Amino acid sequence: MTMRASELAGGVRDGSIDPVEHTEKVLEEIERIDKDYHYLNTICADRARKAASDLKKGGSKGRLAGIPLSIKDSIVVKGVESTGGSAILKGYVPVFNATCVERGEKEGAIVIGKTSQDEFGFGAFAVNVGKGFRIPKNPIDPTRATGGSSGGAAGLAKKASFPTISYGESTGGSIVNPASFCDVFGLCPTYGRVSRYGLIDYGNSLDKVGPISRYLSDVALGLEVMAGHDAKDSTSADAPVEEFSSSIGKDLRGLRIGVIKESFGEGTEEDVKDAVWTGIKRLEGEGARYEEVNTPLAFEFGIPAYYIIGTSEASTNLAKYCGMRYGVQEETADGFNEYFTRIRSENLGDEAKRRVMLGTFARMSGVRDAYYLKAAKVRTKIIEEYKSLFKRFDILVSPTVPYKPPTFDEIGRLTPLQHYMADVMTVSPNLAGLPHLNIPAGMKKGLPVGMMAIADHWKESELFRAGAPFERP
Amino acid sequence: MSFSTETVIGMEIHAELKTKTKLFCSCSREANEFEKPNTRTCPVCLGHPGSKPVLNRKAVEYAIRVCLATGCAISPALIFSRKSYFYPDLAKNYQISQYEQPLGTKGSLSLDSGKEIGITRVHMEEDPASLVHPAGVGGSSSVLVDYNRSGNPLCEIVTEPDLETPDEAREFLKKLTSILNYLDVFDADSCIIKADANISIKGSGYTRVEIKNITGYKEVERALRYEITRQRQEVSSGGRIIQETRGWDADKGLTFRMRTKETEDDYGYIIDPDLTATAISAPWVRRIKEGLPELAHEKETRYVLEHKISIEDARVIAAEKDLARLFEKVAEKVSPILAARWLRRELVRVMNYSKIDFSGLKIDEKHLSDLLTLVEQKRITEKTAQKLMEQLIKEPFDVHEHVEKNGLASVNDDGAIEEACSQTINANPQAVSEYKAGSEKALNFLIGQVMRQTKGKADPKIIREKMLAGLDH
Repeated sequence: MTMRASELAGGVRDGSIDPVEHTEKVLEEIERIDKDYHYLNTICADRARKAASDLKKGGSKGRLAGIPLSIKDSIVVKGVESTGGSAILKGYVPVFNATCVERGEKEGAIVIGKTSQDEFGFGAFAVNVGKGFRIPKNPIDPTRATGGSSGGAAGLAKKASFPTISYGESTGGSIVNPASFCDVFGLCPTYGRVSRYGLIDYGNSLDKVGPISRYLSDVALGLEVMAGHDAKDSTSADAPVEEFSSSIGKDLRGLRIGVIKESFGEGTEEDVKDAVWTGIKRLEGEGARYEEVNTPLAFEFGIPAYYIIGTSEASTNLAKYCGMRYGVQEETADGFNEYFTRIRSENLGDEAKRRVMLGTFARMSGVRDAYYLKAAKVRTKIIEEYKSLFKRFDILVSPTVPYKPPTFDEIGRLTPLQHYMADVMTVSPNLAGLPHLNIPAGMKKGLPVGMMAIADHWKESELFRAGAPFERP
Repeated sequence: MSFSTETVIGMEIHAELKTKTKLFCSCSREANEFEKPNTRTCPVCLGHPGSKPVLNRKAVEYAIRVCLATGCAISPALIFSRKSYFYPDLAKNYQISQYEQPLGTKGSLSLDSGKEIGITRVHMEEDPASLVHPAGVGGSSSVLVDYNRSGNPLCEIVTEPDLETPDEAREFLKKLTSILNYLDVFDADSCIIKADANISIKGSGYTRVEIKNITGYKEVERALRYEITRQRQEVSSGGRIIQETRGWDADKGLTFRMRTKETEDDYGYIIDPDLTATAISAPWVRRIKEGLPELAHEKETRYVLEHKISIEDARVIAAEKDLARLFEKVAEKVSPILAARWLRRELVRVMNYSKIDFSGLKIDEKHLSDLLTLVEQKRITEKTAQKLMEQLIKEPFDVHEHVEKNGLASVNDDGAIEEACSQTINANPQAVSEYKAGSEKALNFLIGQVMRQTKGKADPKIIREKMLAGLDH
């Protein structure tokens, strides 16, 4: 059994654990894990050693004292190459820290490296990595995917023998999906709960930073530290940050659960249905009440609306990567147009190109009304659908992903559309900016199944309450 | 829209707002005299991955002032859009601008003739970087980019195609600049103002040609004059006007083709998801409105009614904020009619002659009212006053002291003037007899002699009176 991150921090604070020695062991282990599992695009050993020795000297009383943090590659860390998993940003060393990183370090956390992901977050299996990047492997079965896009983050949280918190990011499911495949807790907070300052954008109106960890209590701790208003991000909300960990272990009697009927339909594996129903029954056993509900708009229109909005925004976000100012750079023998085209053709992966093209099309004059603006309207309708359900329920439950982690061979046979369908459960809560949590619901045929709980805006505490019975001892 | 006039002109004016900082970051807006390229920058205005814009509310207030002064309806919310196009001067390859819902709409501005020029929209946007051509435009094999200007706040004012002549275009721009100055949102020394003009003639069936980036009123008039002639010649020689964008070469005095426009540009606008809508509340607008200064056209009317000065004088004085300020101060001490005449004619003449503008003017209202008080009390002659004005502008001094020390007070002693006249009559018998033979020239000669003798300090009217009395004796 591994220590909790919160226990490690306690040990560092009271002097019973030496952060320098501990960090040294952590660095050795991630080196070893990374060789086989490819969870880290960059390991920042020197920075980690310096942080540990500063912490030892300063005698930190921080809430994250000595806790190794891994940061998704799309979240910038000052002085550490941050690429968002893309070859086009190779060599880019940020001059500033993302707000979430700054807050973590201020509480004594030790940043150990940047975790692998689908290029710019474009994928559900972490196989769409940028050119020259390695694909992370499932910690339970390395022939299978970690899920994505925060694949490295979830994989490391599971595989590491040391206590750790991974900072992930979700646009359409990229926190809960890999958490489900890697058998860990992952929380995607309410949009605006955690600052996006320093997050390399995919779809700005959808992107959320959130914690992934083996223990629910460490997810709560991570969220408590990263959450809160930030003047540097105009979309960051001034919502009070509660002590989320205090919701873990709260009485479940009276918890009202809406079970999303559509998520148990044809496309969902029997094993997944079984495991999630077992989970729901377990909550019922603790005193919760459940009822089956329908979310027809979310299921029918979530995927198209998400892909239109996400790619529209992404196609403008990626425009700045053109071989000027930062990242890759080559000799400019021709005009700027030819140069930009060459750099982008050579350095962006297929899925990034596909999404840039989709998004550019969707916002062209002439089709803009039919796609981009219509998708925005659909999004509002989906929010309304959820909002009306939250008048009657505290949480909504569904599987996180309709199937268990597939093998790389199986993924290779998927069409892009089938690939997008992996997000069917997760895109709608993401579109609606609702907080959602992956709860490891148990193993089937040796592979993990995740159950997703969705709560109303700002009600993350309900997710911690519902996740508590599944907390690891 | 159907047109009937010979020429149709519409303008788009970009005026930089004189805020302390840039539109979306805390970098200084104003250039430092000794700054190096790319030093007045930060991750936001360089478009670094992960950076996010935060709106400068002062800039919004300034733009609202512009809307109020031009009678625009003000949008209840400020919404920014991304205008996407690839160009090396755009840090993000999109410009944060406004599209669907501009800040102000449906305003107008009237010309001296009373003609109303409609204002279609007033919106805010960020300035791109500046391109530096090391060996001049066209002669350089490479281009350098300086991002110091990147992100500066611009206010774009778009007119209806209501202008019919280059003169009207010039007057419009001049009037608008006057308003911006009065509103204290624009500073001619540190802010850029540029105009794009759309122009078409009846002969071509009103095919629209756009002339980009014209700086200054005179240049607007020159460019439009040139373009009208070019289009007319083209049409009369059997050629065809094509829809295109042209540049203005002020040195050569001609417009040149930049690119042809087969279709309207497609900028793929989306709402900028990094910025939330800013509410523009009625109380906020009211507060701004209450703080608005009296504008040129209001001053013009007041001067005529209150000070009884001519409409021409009132117009010229009111158009120039600094001149109006001086006039109002001086008119408290001396007759407004005298003040208006001297400020409008003499001060402006001397300033033009000495090539100085109001920012370089060293004298203040005290110098002017001292000088004009002496004129009003006939203690110095107008000729002396003119000379003093010329000297004052070069190097200011205390007017009273100077007049006393240098004995410039006018000769008001009738006896002394009579004495000088009789001396002159006696010394110039030839001229006296010519006068008696009816020569007006001879009389002027004699008066001139007396003026020389009294060193210009005697009133020519009194000399004439006394001289005539002496001659008729």
